[in-house]
Amino acid sequence: MIRQRIPTNGRDHFITSASGCHTRYITSGPRNGLIANRSLDRSTIFAFCFGSLDKEDILFTQNSFFTLCSLSLSLSNPTQILAMTILRFYQRPSSLSIAFSSRHEWSFSGSSELVTLTTRRNQCWRFSPLKSSNGSPLAGASWKDDGKEMSVPKVPDIGSQLAENTVSITVVGASGDLAKKKIFPALFALYYEDYLPQHFTVFGYARSKLTDEELRHTISTTLTCRVDKRENCSDKMEQFLRRCFYHSGQYDSEVDFCELDNKLKEKEDGKLANRLFYLSIPPNIFVDVVRGASRSASSPNGWTRFIVEKPFGRDSESSSELTRCLKMYLIEEQIFRIDHYLGKELVENLSVLRFANLVFEPLWSRNYIRNVQLIFSEDFGTEGRGGYFDHYGIIRDIMQNHLLQILALFAMETPVGLDGEDIRNEKVKVLRSMRVLKLDDVVVGQYKGHTKGGKSFPAYTDDPTVPKGSLTPTFAAASLFIDNARWDGVPFLMKAGKALHRRGAEIRVQFRHVPGNLYKRKFGTDLDKATNELVIRVQPNEAIYLKINNKVPGLSMRLDSSNLNLLYSERYPREIPDAYERLLLDAIEGERRLFIRSDELDAAWAIFSPLLRELEEKKVVPELYPYGSRGPVGAHYLAAKYNVRWGDLSDSS
Amino acid sequence: MAVSFPKCPSSPLPPLQTRNRAWLSPLSAPLQVGDSSKWALLEATKRCHLCVSATNGGSAVAPVEPSKKVQDSGPKTTPTDHSTKVENGIRPTVLSSNEFQDLKTGPDNSGRESTVSITVVGASGDLAKKKIFPALFALYYEGFLPKHFTIFGYARSKMTDSELREMVSRTLNCRIDQRENCDAKMEEFLKRCFYHSGQYDSEAHFVELDKKLKQHEGSRISNRLYYLSIPPNIFLDVVKCTSLAASSENGWTRVIVEKPFGRDAESSAALTRGLKQYLHEDQIFRIDHYLGKELVENLSVLRFSNLVFEPLWSRQYIRNVQIIFSEDFGTEGRGGYFDSYGIIRDIMQNHLLQIVALFAMETRTSLEAEDIRNEKVKVLRSMKTLEIDDVVIGQYKSHTRGGVVYPGYTDDKTVPNDSLTPTFAAAALFINNARWDGVPFLMKAGKALHTKRAEIRVQFRHVPGNLYKKCFGTDLDRATNELVIRVQPDEAIYLKINNKIPGLGMRLDRSNLNLHYAARYSKEIPCAYERLLLDAIEGERRLFIRSDELDAAWALFTPLLKDLEEKRIAPELYPYGSRGPVGAHYLAAKYNVRWGDLGAEH
Repeated sequence: MIRQRIPTNGRDHFITSASGCHTRYITSGPRNGLIANRSLDRSTIFAFCFGSLDKEDILFTQNSFFTLCSLSLSLSNPTQILAMTILRFYQRPSSLSIAFSSRHEWSFSGSSELVTLTTRRNQCWRFSPLKSSNGSPLAGASWKDDGKEMSVPKVPDIGSQLAENTVSITVVGASGDLAKKKIFPALFALYYEDYLPQHFTVFGYARSKLTDEELRHTISTTLTCRVDKRENCSDKMEQFLRRCFYHSGQYDSEVDFCELDNKLKEKEDGKLANRLFYLSIPPNIFVDVVRGASRSASSPNGWTRFIVEKPFGRDSESSSELTRCLKMYLIEEQIFRIDHYLGKELVENLSVLRFANLVFEPLWSRNYIRNVQLIFSEDFGTEGRGGYFDHYGIIRDIMQNHLLQILALFAMETPVGLDGEDIRNEKVKVLRSMRVLKLDDVVVGQYKGHTKGGKSFPAYTDDPTVPKGSLTPTFAAASLFIDNARWDGVPFLMKAGKALHRRGAEIRVQFRHVPGNLYKRKFGTDLDKATNELVIRVQPNEAIYLKINNKVPGLSMRLDSSNLNLLYSERYPREIPDAYERLLLDAIEGERRLFIRSDELDAAWAIFSPLLRELEEKKVVPELYPYGSRGPVGAHYLAAKYNVRWGDLSDSS
Repeated sequence: MAVSFPKCPSSPLPPLQTRNRAWLSPLSAPLQVGDSSKWALLEATKRCHLCVSATNGGSAVAPVEPSKKVQDSGPKTTPTDHSTKVENGIRPTVLSSNEFQDLKTGPDNSGRESTVSITVVGASGDLAKKKIFPALFALYYEGFLPKHFTIFGYARSKMTDSELREMVSRTLNCRIDQRENCDAKMEEFLKRCFYHSGQYDSEAHFVELDKKLKQHEGSRISNRLYYLSIPPNIFLDVVKCTSLAASSENGWTRVIVEKPFGRDAESSAALTRGLKQYLHEDQIFRIDHYLGKELVENLSVLRFSNLVFEPLWSRQYIRNVQIIFSEDFGTEGRGGYFDSYGIIRDIMQNHLLQIVALFAMETRTSLEAEDIRNEKVKVLRSMKTLEIDDVVIGQYKSHTRGGVVYPGYTDDKTVPNDSLTPTFAAAALFINNARWDGVPFLMKAGKALHTKRAEIRVQFRHVPGNLYKKCFGTDLDRATNELVIRVQPDEAIYLKINNKIPGLGMRLDRSNLNLHYAARYSKEIPCAYERLLLDAIEGERRLFIRSDELDAAWALFTPLLKDLEEKRIAPELYPYGSRGPVGAHYLAAKYNVRWGDLGAEH
């Protein structure tokens, strides 16, 4: 019997072959096979068995699953299938036939002699056990991939096969700010932490004429090493930069992309090529680039994916137009719409908090929750870069995407599994249950100049890049309602603003007051002021705390509000990875959980578009608030309409 | 009366008390003194948890004789007037200016001051020296005692007042956070301490005490509190003498007794019967000092003033509750008393059981003492009587570690060599009511263990259909939420939650949502005895045990205790300083429980 332990970062122990849209690692023991969808830290692994199974084997597969799955979020469907697989083996040990749902891009069929895995694009892998002379399975497996037959004698040797697979990441708009500040550093961090495949190439693409060396120089100025692992940093940086190249070209020129394709092929060197394009460019040239890249620089044998970042249009129409255009050249599975807020540690943790703890889920409904507040504030204005912002405004820039996404995650029903599609299905349902925003539900504001301590802070319209009479809101507060059974009547209040008195993003859940509170006399007249509150501080200073009423120690019976605290910096000394790292890695791995699907995007726009149009048509004048203040008073009135107090303005902590 | 009552939201006036002619508002003393500082008044009034109501309007208030005069001469403020303010017996913490005015003018209208005389019977004993006198001083220091008070030590040994003072002064210390004036305060406090030597069964001696007390009390309304810090076999003698010879004539007389309250149901009932020959139920204050611990007091606040806990507080969400008490030392040469009681009687049947009752009770009608005690009794009466299978007992044996030899229990000279008295016990209890059916309440108490600790652990069920179950390994129950209330040392409340470890993977761990008292509250937490003494003086019975509670508690344990003794069950031996006998794990495992305190985290 095998007692082989599957290593948690088993890169060295898995063989890989890539085809279609997924990278897969395969390993095998004498009687077991594993197919991994990109192992490393988040793996999706299928176990199957050649020959008949017995109880020991099941134990083995289960154990290895626990080891591996503890690192994975995207498992539930595959694991359910795993269970099914085993069950079938039990009943019919001689054959195996499983069909995956079409979502998974592959199907799976076979017998104990041969397992075939077919992807949507009709690429086939066939797995069959090697047999010893007496017919019993050997410690190895062989498979055919696009007609090329490989066989692997035993597990430890398979690591060498890794080199067969490569990923090329092309940052389109490499000279831009986002690329320099976020994308390259995130790629380096992934490389530094060993999350990138062994062979990879990073290309910068932009119009400016640059040499590879010049690009490397620009990049190197922004790279930093993680605080907790400084050793080898400069070596690593050196190696990373050697994999970085630059190609200069026009964004709408297919010819230029053809050249890029040639260069990429050169670097890929006949390996199985996967290509990721990160579009760090203005939205008006999205489609040009996608056309050029998809027609001329798609991978011939691996996957090709495109990461696009907001803005995804200005309203329902422009957004669906963009989607329609992208889909002329790409299929939905190739489009990765980033919302970097979904990659924030505490936003990711939101689901864990809800679904891995018994104590929260019973409270997660209108029965116990009085209101939910999603608050985003920045302590600076546009600072001379108001051109883009003025065209969009805070509602499109922050609310319609980041805050709404958090809201959907917060309010969704329990998903069937942790699979990307399962979560996105639930999120869409929330968005579609939401009431369309009306003008009455919203307060808009714009910051004005303010002098404090001798220093004067400019108004929004003082920004030279902003038109003088601009009515673009730099602050907005909105009340949203989800008309479903769980949330009917619970106000979800959003607030986002620039140039406020502090910087932060947090989720506040205010609970109802205790019915028939025995201690009500201790709370003064307003029972609602002493309710429990769960605060999830997304940034800065990540923390989760629950405000509870507690007796002040001493001989008297006075109550106060104390926090049950979890301060990340105390509990987890490790640096928290940047949201872009997570999202890039997910895109490379094909994990779509944190990316926005077209129908989600449509539903999100449907909520905000009528309001945005009305604001513009009626030329609603934003309420002015001083730079560095707490925002316009209107936000309080909006909250008061629903009997809510903003938690961030009354919380001393 | 309008003066003392309405101003005294703290006046405990449960139905029983109305019979007590000698009753006087506990707060009236400080309130009626004209020159009481504003601060002391406010402080006294702030203690509004003591407020048991005058609510029920005039009727409850009426029978109190001493105050009647006050009412007659006082301003025409009607009780109903105030009862609106003192709704539910709880008063807002801040006094309105009107109310404050009332307080100030009050004392001027009253003819008489009141005084309280606290007699510590058994003044030369250890408890008196270590706990009672220091607690009295702390109360005095913090301004919680009435303006006029007298403290008497009573014991057989011949001592002068100044010898007693000398003895008391050695154990007094001042609060860390308020050191100023400490010596002066100590001086003043000691001046109020006196000593009277006498036999415990001599009425004549108590008559003498009575005379001395009267001398100090002068013409004031006198309230008398007797603290019986003596062996239980002379409880009755002392109670008889005090009640016959040294009761207050115009105020209240209360007697504080401490465990043991008998050895079993019969002896406890006999003791209660004996006490009741001389005292009313409402004169008897049975101390369980665990109820005075800060976090035990906070238990109710946590449950009933937070929305997030009460919905979870039932069999639907709670898998088991653990109440754990451990001491890291043995009897250390003082095993005489312990040996005749054992850990079950010493800790479980009272302290831990009281905590269970507080934990598990239904929502009470109000904060009034009788309401709480009614609910606690109901819990105790719903509990399944303990059987021998539900219990594991142990006794520590000697152990050598790092060259130091720790003695076994039977090595103690004051313990018989063949003693079978348990120094450790674990028990599984069940409450057969709708809320708790099937939820094991596990208790564990032991001496000479590896740590010193008292805590309540609430283990929740696992998440049904947990999406992350693959992340938890095979045993879902090991990754459940757990609420821990650490009573001592290092008071804290924390809730263990599953959390994502920050980073690119999806690994979960258990983190705590923490409330660490030392970090949150800089003030020193008062000793349980202070709270209980103050409550006794103020007539607040919430933290004292009523006769029927005591009966119910004994009813649960008596059959088991008899069984253990009749069958001469030998305790499982465990080494001094260890984690206790293995049997405790098997007992827990029987109900699919793991002891939370012995988990990996510790």
